[in-house]
Amino acid sequence: MTHSISIKINGVDRKLEIKDNELLLDVIRDKAGVKSVKAGCWRGECGLCTVLLDGKPVKSCFVLAIEADGREIVTAEGLAPEGQLSPIQKHFVEKAALQCGFCTPSFVLTAHYLLSVNPNPTESEIREYLSGHICRCGTYKQIIEAILACAKEQNQAKQATSQKTGR
Amino acid sequence: MSFGSSYLTLPEFQYLKPKTLQEALQLLDEHKDEAKILAGGIGLLAFMKERLVDPRWVVDIKAIDELHTLRDDGGKGLTIGATSTMNQLLEFEPLKEKYKALRDCISLLSDPVLRNRSTLLGDICEALPYVDGPTPLLLFDAEIEAASTKGRRRISMSQFIKGVAETALDPNEIAVAIHLKPPPEHSKSLFLKHTSSSEFSVVNVAALCANPTTPENRTVRLAYGAIAPTPARVHEIEELFKRRTPISQLIDEAVGVVKKSTEPMTDVLAKAEYRSHMLEVLTIKALRRLLGS
Repeated sequence: MTHSISIKINGVDRKLEIKDNELLLDVIRDKAGVKSVKAGCWRGECGLCTVLLDGKPVKSCFVLAIEADGREIVTAEGLAPEGQLSPIQKHFVEKAALQCGFCTPSFVLTAHYLLSVNPNPTESEIREYLSGHICRCGTYKQIIEAILACAKEQNQAKQATSQKTGR
Repeated sequence: MSFGSSYLTLPEFQYLKPKTLQEALQLLDEHKDEAKILAGGIGLLAFMKERLVDPRWVVDIKAIDELHTLRDDGGKGLTIGATSTMNQLLEFEPLKEKYKALRDCISLLSDPVLRNRSTLLGDICEALPYVDGPTPLLLFDAEIEAASTKGRRRISMSQFIKGVAETALDPNEIAVAIHLKPPPEHSKSLFLKHTSSSEFSVVNVAALCANPTTPENRTVRLAYGAIAPTPARVHEIEELFKRRTPISQLIDEAVGVVKKSTEPMTDVLAKAEYRSHMLEVLTIKALRRLLGS
């Protein structure tokens, strides 16, 4: 049976025709055409297919497309307006936290979420939080540096504003 | 854990999303074995990708409000609804001290991203030997509440898992909640596991202790899993720890009792001898930490 579902992907409402047994991963890539979401292991281990579903990271190879009906998805493309970089994306670039770049969108999304719930993570908290992601090039060290640098910059900016406004 | 090329797709099925428990139970009455319950989906979708399970109907229970329950009734214990995710449980205050063995266990399961979807009750209903969830639940005399159109019943955790991938649930029943009894006052608990390189447990141990320094009031509980098809609590050691004997001697005796109480299995993850040895190691470690010797 086919269904028509509505998903907001990176701020745009999309109507998609899907079957009951289609995975969210395949629908995002092949029907919505969002290619930063990668297919890796299909068994929830590599983390490449991570998307933010209603704000929280999930592995889209373990979500049915039909479960996302009426919900909101953000991928790496949706973190900043076209042509711009989000703070975490900027720090990934500055620290060269990638080699081939295949896993980068997924790390960026999970790091973005981590900093939103824990603005000042320790290195071990970062390692633990990213434990469901694999980078075959082994750029973990630079990824952790990028996240720490991003957290530091955002916290300094926050302090500067609170000093200015006296709050 | 072997995957053919089929794991890239799911077999065909029809997706159903009832809004009430009554509706879901009627669907199960109608479709029986041909229907499977979807909560977090980590187990179900993996089995479906491998074609180990091929349901005609998949019943998503996440729209059913009453299954979202996560409640601490103090002296009456905890209720954990079927759709409570692992991450919700990690943030749930009562697990931080009072039910710490359960929290320890969950914090070691899969990874933080999967834990946004995976559920504790789903983990238990998988009923595979290497699933960790049941072991700490045995410490808290947990019961699984099952519902069908005929009514409700509670199944003790110790009776719930019948064998490999086999539970005490009837095909027309849904496991709706886990009920935990409060631990003795001032008790401490912990969970330890030893995994194969593939991160599946080859043995796990959960233990609890209250009043370690006063033998007559001392409470010690210990449960293990992943070593045989069903997890177990070793009730035989509980009286033993009331004796006025040096702790190190009691622990030695307890290890003997624990090892005698099980027949470790040999499977693709580990040999029986290895499991037996690691059970001893984890038992000693757990008891020493709790009893401070």
